[in-house]
Amino acid sequence: MSEVTIKEKLTNCFRAVFPTLPEASIPGASVATVAAWDSIAAITLLHVVEEEFQTEVDLDRLAELNSFESLAAFLSARTTQF
Amino acid sequence: MKLTEALQTLREGESSRGTAFPVLLACGFTPLHLETFFGAHLQKSLPGRQVRVASGLYGDLAGTLEREPSEGTQGVAVALEWPDLEARLGYRSLGGWGPAREAEIAHQVQAALGRLCLAIERLSHAVPVAISLPTLPLPPAFHVPGWEAGKAEIAIRADLAKFASRVAECRGVSIANPQRLLEQSPLERRLNLQAELLTGHPYSVPHANAVGAVLARLLLPAAPKKGLITDLDDTVWGGIVGEVGPEAVAWDLDNHAQLHGLYQQTLAALVGQGVLLAAASKNNSDTVEEVFRREDIRLARDKIFPMEVHWGPKSESVGRILETWNVGADGVVFIDDSPMELAEVKAAWPGIDCLLFPRNDHAAALALFRTVRDLFGKRRLADEDGFRLASIRAAADFAQVSHQGPQQDMFLSQAGAVLTAQFNPPLTDSRILELVNKTNQFNLNGVRHTEVEWRRCFDSESSFLLLVYYEDKYGPLGKIAVLAGQREDHTLRVHTWVMSCRAFSRRIEHGCMDLLFSHFDVDELRFDFATTPKNGPFRACFAPFLGVAPEGPFSVTLTQFEEHCPRLHFKVETIV
Repeated sequence: MSEVTIKEKLTNCFRAVFPTLPEASIPGASVATVAAWDSIAAITLLHVVEEEFQTEVDLDRLAELNSFESLAAFLSARTTQF
Repeated sequence: MKLTEALQTLREGESSRGTAFPVLLACGFTPLHLETFFGAHLQKSLPGRQVRVASGLYGDLAGTLEREPSEGTQGVAVALEWPDLEARLGYRSLGGWGPAREAEIAHQVQAALGRLCLAIERLSHAVPVAISLPTLPLPPAFHVPGWEAGKAEIAIRADLAKFASRVAECRGVSIANPQRLLEQSPLERRLNLQAELLTGHPYSVPHANAVGAVLARLLLPAAPKKGLITDLDDTVWGGIVGEVGPEAVAWDLDNHAQLHGLYQQTLAALVGQGVLLAAASKNNSDTVEEVFRREDIRLARDKIFPMEVHWGPKSESVGRILETWNVGADGVVFIDDSPMELAEVKAAWPGIDCLLFPRNDHAAALALFRTVRDLFGKRRLADEDGFRLASIRAAADFAQVSHQGPQQDMFLSQAGAVLTAQFNPPLTDSRILELVNKTNQFNLNGVRHTEVEWRRCFDSESSFLLLVYYEDKYGPLGKIAVLAGQREDHTLRVHTWVMSCRAFSRRIEHGCMDLLFSHFDVDELRFDFATTPKNGPFRACFAPFLGVAPEGPFSVTLTQFEEHCPRLHFKVETIV
């Protein structure tokens, strides 16, 4: 999967979990910038990502996967692995 | 449903302008994805409304159920899990497992179930309650190996079964079938232990979807189908009767035709619960009648009406059957062993559910029986279900012998009709709301109500509800009309009026108006009428009173009524 595809799919995940987040803010979104990104949203986002990318994400990584960029990098590495 | 779709569905619901549909999701754990899926499944069933799901306090299921639900709550879904009955049956407590604690755990479960039972019984008087019994595996807390059911575990499960049996007696309570849930969500894929420890939400995403779906379906059950039209050869019996003869067709084990016997048994059971059953078969009718005279047949001939047996197209047979039943195609299922016949009927009647009878495929036959059960299944049966077929038959006889004009008066005067009025019957009578929500043709405005909304219609002291029963020498029709509204000085405002189509042509509608004028001693009836795609018969009924068929709300004065009401021949009785 190309990085562009990963970012497009990840953007869809963010749209689903943070519907009020402006489109332009999604690439820079993080726990620090999105007020709605609480613990419930974090786990929802991870499960949406699992479904969309058909992969499993260890919930212990919840703390480090705290931004659009970190998730994109994680998924990119995961895709490369397989 | 995927989580993304569920979130999207909820978002669309939030942005819709429909009336709110508030529900309570009662669970002792973090509701998280269960709440999302439950809300999304409800929203899918209620596209015009805004579903709003509230949840109770974490770890306090009993407390949530004991509190009054907030104003306007339309239903309560209870997702019960083992830690709600005893914290040590969950993974977030370290209260101890093992032999020394087993009896105490079982005792605690019993006490917790008793408390929940009382709360649910009380709650069910106010709102519909849907319950999923514990869906997660019991933790390895007991001293016996996992493949053995130990004494404590058996006691716990027995108490749970007693609890379920008791709350199932409550009119407003429905319980998810654990067996069906097991098929949809395998036991080993239900628990997400890591998520439970981290967030307090124990369900895997697919399991949250399965539980959310069943709870939503229990609170908003689909309307059951009304009628089933079946083929005969190689469906009701094995073999082609025209070829092998009436004695050689079979439906038993000895002749390797048990699937047909089971099908007959299924059909007979459906008739017993009020489903209309007809046959459409390409055959000689005399030959078919001979089969039904056999003593070993499991489906009696008189359960089937009408019987369309000839060599014409089945789509035409179906058309005549629908007309006799006065039922729309979308309320009917057609079963045949021939894909060609199914396609022919489907092309003519796209709304009909056409199902293939799989002659030699046992697994497919079982799937068919289950599908039929699901399509026709009803939570509770009314007295009317027991004699629906007989009353349809009587209505057909009635239509054949009744006439229009002066002859109709003579006919009606000899019908021995009794119209029975019950003012303000108990709202717990489920037949009333069933009539209101299912009747299309003689329906004042097509407004449907949830149980909670229906009850709220009668909060005011000026409100009234009239339930009408009918019987004549052709048989009882049972509860056939419902009228509801409010008294406003010398006027009666009617916001609900439905009448079963089986009761047409008897002047019952005039009888109902007569009852309202005389019982309430008012000068005028004001009707909240609205045109719907199907309520033409209602409009037509009022054209003589108004000069034209109504297009919107209208009134009928006592003078107008007396001028235009035809002669009524009922004996009127009242249930107090």
